[in-house]
Amino acid sequence: MIQEDKFMLVEEKIQYVLNFTLNGEEISIAVHPSRRLVDIIRTDLDLTGTKISCEIGRCGACMVLIDGIPHNSCLTMAYQCEGKEIESIEGIGKNKLDPIQQCFLEEGAFQCGYCTPGMIVSLKGLLNQNKSPNYDEIEQSLAGNLCRCTGYGGINRVIKRLSK
Amino acid sequence: MLLDQDSAGDKWRIRPDGKEKVTGKLRYLTDMTFPNMLYGRVLRSDYPHARIISIDTLKAKALEGVVSVITHEDIPGLNGFGISNPDQPVFCFDFVRYEGDAIAAVAATTPEIAEEALHLIEVEYDKLPIIDSAEKALLPTAPKLHSNGNILHETDYCRGNTEAVLGKCVCVIEETYETPRQMHTYLETEGGIFVPEKDGRLTVYAPTQHGYKDRMQLGRILGVPDERIRVISSPIGGSFGGKDELNVQPYGALLSLSCGKPVKIHYSRWESVKAGLKRHPMKITMKTGVDANGKVLAHEVTILSDTGAYSTLGGPVLNFATEHAIGPYQIPNVVVKGKAVFTNNGVSGEFRGFGGNQVIFALEGQIDRLAEKLHIDPWELRRRNLRNLNDLGPLGQRVYPTNGAFEVWEAIQRSPLWEKSKQDLESSDRWIQRGIGFSMAMHGSGLGFGIPDPAGGILRLNNKGKIEVAFGHEEFGQGLLGTLEILLLDHFNCEKEDIHIVIGDTDLVPPSGSSTASRTTNMVWQALNRLKPQFLSALYEKVENETGVNRKDLKTGSGGIWTYKNGKKVRVMTYGEVAKLGIEDLEFSTKFHYPVTPDPVMGGHYLYTCTSVAAEVEVNVLTGTVKVVAIDHTVAAGPVINPMGYLGQIEGGSIMALGFTLSEDAVMESSEYITLNLDTYVIPTILDVPRSQSVDAIEKLPDGDPFGPRGVGEVGSVALAPAIVAAVKNATGTWITKLPINKEKLICDLPYLNNEKKVGITHDSGR
Ligand code: FES
Ligand code: FES
Repeated sequence: MIQEDKFMLVEEKIQYVLNFTLNGEEISIAVHPSRRLVDIIRTDLDLTGTKISCEIGRCGACMVLIDGIPHNSCLTMAYQCEGKEIESIEGIGKNKLDPIQQCFLEEGAFQCGYCTPGMIVSLKGLLNQNKSPNYDEIEQSLAGNLCRCTGYGGINRVIKRLSK
Repeated sequence: MLLDQDSAGDKWRIRPDGKEKVTGKLRYLTDMTFPNMLYGRVLRSDYPHARIISIDTLKAKALEGVVSVITHEDIPGLNGFGISNPDQPVFCFDFVRYEGDAIAAVAATTPEIAEEALHLIEVEYDKLPIIDSAEKALLPTAPKLHSNGNILHETDYCRGNTEAVLGKCVCVIEETYETPRQMHTYLETEGGIFVPEKDGRLTVYAPTQHGYKDRMQLGRILGVPDERIRVISSPIGGSFGGKDELNVQPYGALLSLSCGKPVKIHYSRWESVKAGLKRHPMKITMKTGVDANGKVLAHEVTILSDTGAYSTLGGPVLNFATEHAIGPYQIPNVVVKGKAVFTNNGVSGEFRGFGGNQVIFALEGQIDRLAEKLHIDPWELRRRNLRNLNDLGPLGQRVYPTNGAFEVWEAIQRSPLWEKSKQDLESSDRWIQRGIGFSMAMHGSGLGFGIPDPAGGILRLNNKGKIEVAFGHEEFGQGLLGTLEILLLDHFNCEKEDIHIVIGDTDLVPPSGSSTASRTTNMVWQALNRLKPQFLSALYEKVENETGVNRKDLKTGSGGIWTYKNGKKVRVMTYGEVAKLGIEDLEFSTKFHYPVTPDPVMGGHYLYTCTSVAAEVEVNVLTGTVKVVAIDHTVAAGPVINPMGYLGQIEGGSIMALGFTLSEDAVMESSEYITLNLDTYVIPTILDVPRSQSVDAIEKLPDGDPFGPRGVGEVGSVALAPAIVAAVKNATGTWITKLPINKEKLICDLPYLNNEKKVGITHDSGR
């Protein structure tokens, strides 16, 4: 037990400097290599558009794009982000709302909004890879994003529009 | 009217809080931080039931970075909370009664240190036998969980003579139904931040459905007058009833006062599961008898509700279940006996539908089974028993006249699923069997007779020249802000730039009662109707005094007050110019009470909404998987104020009910949760739901109705389960009695597996 504690303490002291870009901005930050990306974004950088809800990769509230592809930031560690281009919700529609965001607004695709950044990031990730996805493909891309409020009604209306 | 963007026209509006939500800019209360903030954690019990022998916090206090460790000894006021009865200890000191019970709390400079400190608190327990089911709570040998025993509340409603009449019925169905321990699963777990202010006051940033109630409960715990506490409680990442009761607040408040620094607490999902409320699991037995014409003559109901370790709203939930076990049906002989009992199974409390969901599943199941036995179409059987406009309510209380039950009964027949249900449903896949089912419900809104249910609001011109409203209601996603915006634009013909909405801050809003029980839309509608005439006449008088334009010729509009000059519309004054003249005389407030039945029936409701639902399912008879492929709703709740919000409430409530029916259960073993996160507690994903649901809103109210729009926050969630169960019956011939539907059991019960002729696969034989 005591051994383990000591080991933990040594481990805690390991820091390294993580370099990556977040929403186009270069970030250099001293962190433990196993610090979760969600904590770096939410706590260390105070960007709270990325949400946290299950912390086990099940809900999608923490979704970010890593090199354009959706990832659960609660399951991503600092060292895995080295040199990557990361985009959080704050990077989407920075100057002008993204069409996905506009669709969410018009279709009533959110209520409490807590799942919304994750949903939008997932869709953005899909559209990065596939310019004209069909309904099934869009629906699949949201299979890892839970919403408790809407029953996915408005989200399905968004899919309908995006798959047109 | 089928609700959608087209039918809604310009009432389909982008939500005022929308842009901040889709860009991630909105700071939820659990996103907030303060300089020098500490992190709080709560030590939970190791056991679901034990006597506490000792609590030792010395080692934890000695850990570097720990600022405060508190226990029951550090509570200046009442060591208890609970909306209806404060019997839940803030910190346990003699007994623990569920695994989420709190024993101590820690504030430290980092979350990691706070976590470590929890491990250093030494608690010695003497384990006690557990009560892990409602039945066991009633055994004479059961340990007593509270000084009064294990029964929190009993209901006993009786009219006529069921016993004698059941003996004479041509057909009697007796069945027991069981419902799951459903979890609210708001995506934002409980949390908040607690800030001691320089003037000695405490500011609480934590979601709740009733800021003033939290303030009162916290004042009681802290031993300070309520006014010393400010509760900021919106925006909220979902609640569904689950955040109405206190959760993190006592711990955050006590810690921050003991440290003199801001303290943040944000539960992990695991802690939220363990400590948080759930829907009451109920076991409901119904014995229902009819005559040869299908007239229901007698209905006996017993309800056993597992309320868990503490009261919170277990009593009122049981009252609600008792009332709703009778439904929209006129039955001369009725007995309903309910018991809500204490167990060591977590804490059950308020949850969208409030006990209605459970009993409506049972009641509609009874009607469908009776119809099957009598070879009468189940929808026709309902009609023969439905209430009429002026009939009394379920408990014999006077209710405001409503023909909603008949209207939804009729309207669902316009659903395409109705026609489809009359045909044979062929399936291209031999393992898929299809079925369609229908159900209906009547749902009371407001808190009911005997419970204070006050409402109120303020309307003013503020010093920035905006028409401002202030309400003590909360925005947890349902769309209150959108509803208020639509109402204000409608009343004053102005632009959204001309208005300002204040909610969710006890320093800025009047008491308006809780944002629960489908009451908020109705309360704000009534409040504005009361306030508008006084406000306008004061406003016009002021403008007339200033400009000389006769008040009768003035009208509010875009940017200010307008009149017609030579047939041309001209603006007489801007709102800002009026504000500069002084605003003291332009503020009005109102206080009133939610409409209540005049008859002294405890918890009895006065205003009702009605709904009917059609559901189509595909059952895979190899795997037992039930897929709901279509859901149509009709809702009779008066005028639609906010179409996007209304539709969203029905769609969302419905899918929550889909989860209740098919997948959701917070499973406990020996009173300990084994579904600790969203991997094993399974809520519907987008792949589990129909791609669209139709909602037919029946807006008509009886002539002269003074109460306007009824709320729809709950009604979408109460009637889907029995429709799915009826559809599964029509698909497979199997009746389900226990939710969520167990796949293994469903396939094992399939009639053809037991070499019986498959029944009910074509729709006709079932109806
Ligand atoms: S918080 Fe990362 S998936 Fe749920
Ligand atoms: S909008 Fe609340 S969880 Fe999706």
